[in-house]
Amino acid sequence: MNPLYGRRKRKNAIAMTLSLLATAFGAGWLVLILGVLLWQGFSGLSLQVFTEMTPPPGSDGGLLNAIFGSVVLTALAVLIGTPIGILAGTYMAEYGRHSMVTTVVRFINDILLSAPSIVVGLFIYEVMVAPMGHFSGIAGAVALAVLVIPVVVRTTEDMLLLVPNPLREAATALGMPRVNVIRHVCYRAASAGMLTGVLLAIARISGETAPLLFTALNNQFWSTNLNAPMSSLPVVIFQFALSPYADWQKLAWTGALIITFTVLALSITARALAGSRKTS
Amino acid sequence: MSIAQATPQVTTPTAVQAPVDQSKLAEKISIRNLNFYYGDSKALKSISLPLYGGLVTAFIGPSGCGKSTLLRILNRMYDLYPNQRADGEVLLDGENLLSPKQDLNLLRARVGMVFQKPTPFPMTIYENIAFGIRLYERLPKADINDRVESALRRAALWEEVKDKLMANGLSLSGGQQQRLCIARTVAVRPEVILFDEPCSALDPISTAKIEELIDELKEDYTIAIVTHNMQQAARVSDYTAFMYLGELVEFGPTSKIFTTPNDPRTQDYITGRFG
Amino acid sequence: MEPARRQSVVDVALNAGNVQTSETVSRAKVLHRLRLNDAVFRNLTFIAAIGVLILLGGVIVALIDGSMLALRTFGFSFLVDESWNPVTEKFGAIAPIYGTVVTSFIAMLIAVPVGILIAVFLTELCPMWLRRPIGIAIELLAGIPSIIYGIWGLFIFAPFLQQTLQPFLIGVFGDIPVLSSVFAGPPYGIGMLTAALILAIMVLPFITSITRDVFESVPPVLKEAAYGVGCTTWEVVRNVVIPYTRVGIIGGVMLGLGRALGETMAVTFVIGNAHKISPSLLAPGTTISATIANEFTEAVGDIYTSSLIALGLILFVITFIVLAAARYMLLRLERRVGG
Repeated sequence: MNPLYGRRKRKNAIAMTLSLLATAFGAGWLVLILGVLLWQGFSGLSLQVFTEMTPPPGSDGGLLNAIFGSVVLTALAVLIGTPIGILAGTYMAEYGRHSMVTTVVRFINDILLSAPSIVVGLFIYEVMVAPMGHFSGIAGAVALAVLVIPVVVRTTEDMLLLVPNPLREAATALGMPRVNVIRHVCYRAASAGMLTGVLLAIARISGETAPLLFTALNNQFWSTNLNAPMSSLPVVIFQFALSPYADWQKLAWTGALIITFTVLALSITARALAGSRKTS
Repeated sequence: MSIAQATPQVTTPTAVQAPVDQSKLAEKISIRNLNFYYGDSKALKSISLPLYGGLVTAFIGPSGCGKSTLLRILNRMYDLYPNQRADGEVLLDGENLLSPKQDLNLLRARVGMVFQKPTPFPMTIYENIAFGIRLYERLPKADINDRVESALRRAALWEEVKDKLMANGLSLSGGQQQRLCIARTVAVRPEVILFDEPCSALDPISTAKIEELIDELKEDYTIAIVTHNMQQAARVSDYTAFMYLGELVEFGPTSKIFTTPNDPRTQDYITGRFG
Repeated sequence: MEPARRQSVVDVALNAGNVQTSETVSRAKVLHRLRLNDAVFRNLTFIAAIGVLILLGGVIVALIDGSMLALRTFGFSFLVDESWNPVTEKFGAIAPIYGTVVTSFIAMLIAVPVGILIAVFLTELCPMWLRRPIGIAIELLAGIPSIIYGIWGLFIFAPFLQQTLQPFLIGVFGDIPVLSSVFAGPPYGIGMLTAALILAIMVLPFITSITRDVFESVPPVLKEAAYGVGCTTWEVVRNVVIPYTRVGIIGGVMLGLGRALGETMAVTFVIGNAHKISPSLLAPGTTISATIANEFTEAVGDIYTSSLIALGLILFVITFIVLAAARYMLLRLERRVGG
């Protein structure tokens, strides 16, 4: 038995060592990427970045119009996508819980959740940009909204399904009509979770570049016109990073740092919110 | 007549095992001053008792008394979980199995365990048993076939599965799955077999079959069984240990424990006053 | 005559049919309005739910509509033609398809074993205090937007590979017959292999967290039974945990594959954008999403634009199939576990 046992022990040791190395490997990339990002992005960080517009190559400038554009587009996308997502999730969890429609919608929704975002950009191009004849901020916002909807649908349904039935029954027993039960009882009980879903959706679209490339396009100047091309951080980073100009590249790194920081902050907030819900 | 004055009409379980020949007793496992901790709370307090070779020892007591905890120390199963630790001595044939130098895999090959919930591996019936054998021995296929068959016969399962050895282990009924787990444990040729409430998830007929099995198995193995069913303990075991709140209250031959126990707590538990 | 007294329950009961107070009438009106609200809300949610289906349908219809021109012009040869010439207006999809498939495949080849090993570490070996930090690290890695991977790849990783890994591979395989053309120079830094490696790093946290979740769903009793027979940790993982979670792992892997296939930004920066199929992995190439991202806004002419949309349609079909298969498998797993 001894030689066999020795072999088994050795195999185990090798496998366990490999798994440790794999973890170090994975963690190592995180450190490398975040480290470089902090290093490169930080050195370009200054007040100027937040106060001046994107410059032509060779001159000084900032990212103000890009940041503003990103904020506006993200806010609009959330404004458009969240209600639709919440309503759809409500149907799936409350009215149509066991119906075939819900099963199909859930399946399709999960596919949309992981669908390539560039395809969404093409879709909005076909239905909004081409007919309108020009790129516009609103088209970009709608493209982002299409990405928001599946996330919100999923979290809304999951959170509403967690609301215990006795709570609903108690409200109904008081004579509350269904819509009030949902609005005043279910939503309130699931509010933390649904907010988490919205935060996750925001985190997701904050870094999205592809859908904006041919919907909102880009704008070198300050613009508040939704009917015209609108600047956004990811697209500016895309353009600046691929250019041969050093100061543009530097701004690209800084913009990347800003986006990453925002996304990570949102994710951490979302997790903290989900965590507090568990303890309450 | 007030309730307190009424005498309980519970029948005391009668021991059915033949009286044990005291002169042939050999201590297979000796537990000495065993303490066990879940984190900071002490779950077992200074337990000392012997497990005699070739006999069945039952552990009884109310829920939470520590009997399952004690059983799981005997094959160091608690080692899988970080917050649990034991101190004291548990001697298997004279060697302390609590020592950090003890090789856990080899220990578990000598001390097998059958769990409360039947747990067939996600493999065929044949593989479930052959898997354990192959861990320790390099045998040609014909020999493994023989070993599988003899293990299944030992577990009184052979007749029921001999035509479907390649079926998935999960396709069997609950009682059959549990007997498969017993076959799997026996195939590895341990010296001691631990049963942790093996019948609590089974129907009465399967339970009877497994109790018969335990009676046959004790010829070749030392057996320890944890059960919350007192009648089962009386039917199946030669020695019984009664535990309460983490302490060993009384230990002795089953016939004595169930007829003339020394400790009043034992008497109360057996007559159903609490539990 | 009886003195006036307060109405007792008996009186009310006897008079029940005659109680027609204004209170009852207004209550009926309120109930009617509430029922109307209910119906309106219910229909609203239903429409929203159907909206999700309409969205998917809309995407498919729009893509087909937009690619009609290219598909009609080139027919089936579009799928196998390697040419990509905006001047002569001749386009073929094989080079982007090849790039998409090969980079994703190589990425999965790396990410899946590493991801599973990390999940093994997290569930079996990792000390308790280290589990949460590593879990957070995985989520951080997953949350980094892909454009960050893109610029990191372009400015840091590609030059690094150009100095180290690529010359190494060219040297090692230089004399071996078949492999020397797979790893043929010159070392550009950017190229198919670089893109595949970055994709691997992107997909890794995804595979890891799904595999870890699936591993944690194995009932502890089952693992204890395996340990109880004397198995080493690796034997428990290999013979009990992985077979038990097989369907879930495959589902997770396919989800990761779906992501990798559709990934745009991380790949666009480092793939080199060359519309050709080269045998060498170190040569530049292109993927479907990289082609669309780089060329769409500059596409002049209807056929050019339509060809790009046709590429998008192909990508959508491929990812749809992969993702649908993945979801189906995960659905089966949930049903089996009873969750």
